Amino acid sequence: MNAVDAPAHEGQTRTKKKSDKPWQVVVLDDPVNLMEYVSRVLTNIFGFSTEKAKELMMAVHQKGRAVVWVGNREKAEMYVNQLHSAQLHATLDRAE
Amino acid sequence: MTVGPTVAGGLKLVPETDHDWMLLIGIAGDSDSDLAGRLAGLMDEDSMWDEIVAPELAEEFSKQRIKVVKEVMRAKEEDGDIYILKGSVDIWYGALNQARLALEDKYKFGAREEVDPKIFEDPSVRAAYFRNNFYSHVQGLLLQYVMVD
Repeated sequence: MNAVDAPAHEGQTRTKKKSDKPWQVVVLDDPVNLMEYVSRVLTNIFGFSTEKAKELMMAVHQKGRAVVWVGNREKAEMYVNQLHSAQLHATLDRAE
Repeated sequence: MTVGPTVAGGLKLVPETDHDWMLLIGIAGDSDSDLAGRLAGLMDEDSMWDEIVAPELAEEFSKQRIKVVKEVMRAKEEDGDIYILKGSVDIWYGALNQARLALEDKYKFGAREEVDPKIFEDPSVRAAYFRNNFYSHVQGLLLQYVMVD
């Protein structure tokens, strides 16, 4: 039985719910990285199809940022590490 | 300088003047050693990115710059051409990208269509702008001819 099923008190429930929010990997726009390169990196790291990678790349380009993955923090950090290694601007955010 | 694809799936750079050699050697000179730190600045403090990840990335980026300079210097000593093959394309692309990221960080060129014409009044900035365009052009050729699956 977990804390959500049987909270000891209200504060504990709030803490648990907050920590349950997943993390999202966010790619940020920059004027240097070439669009084709960004698509290629997204395909290589996340295994996206060419179409999906291009769609996300365009979202980065047009909106300034795009969420490319959502999940646990450890894996999200691993992905950001790979994106930084490819010299893309990326960070982590709590999912909405 | 002539730059073009090879039948073996690589890219061949043929420097023809001292200026061409200086341009290629300058790839490392245009880069800075703080890219990993700037990327770490995008992360929150909880990640301890500065302490854990950034040093590894800094070393990786440094290796790219050193490898490219060594290849250029070796070719210069032999008065030969430079071949970028599939096996080393990521290193070359990365070194060129480091140079462009550093130039952008320093001069804020922005997107090509947004460049302020006033930058051309300063010879050093103008030169940096054209080096940036050259690096970008080579990257485009690498993507088109070498980084293909």
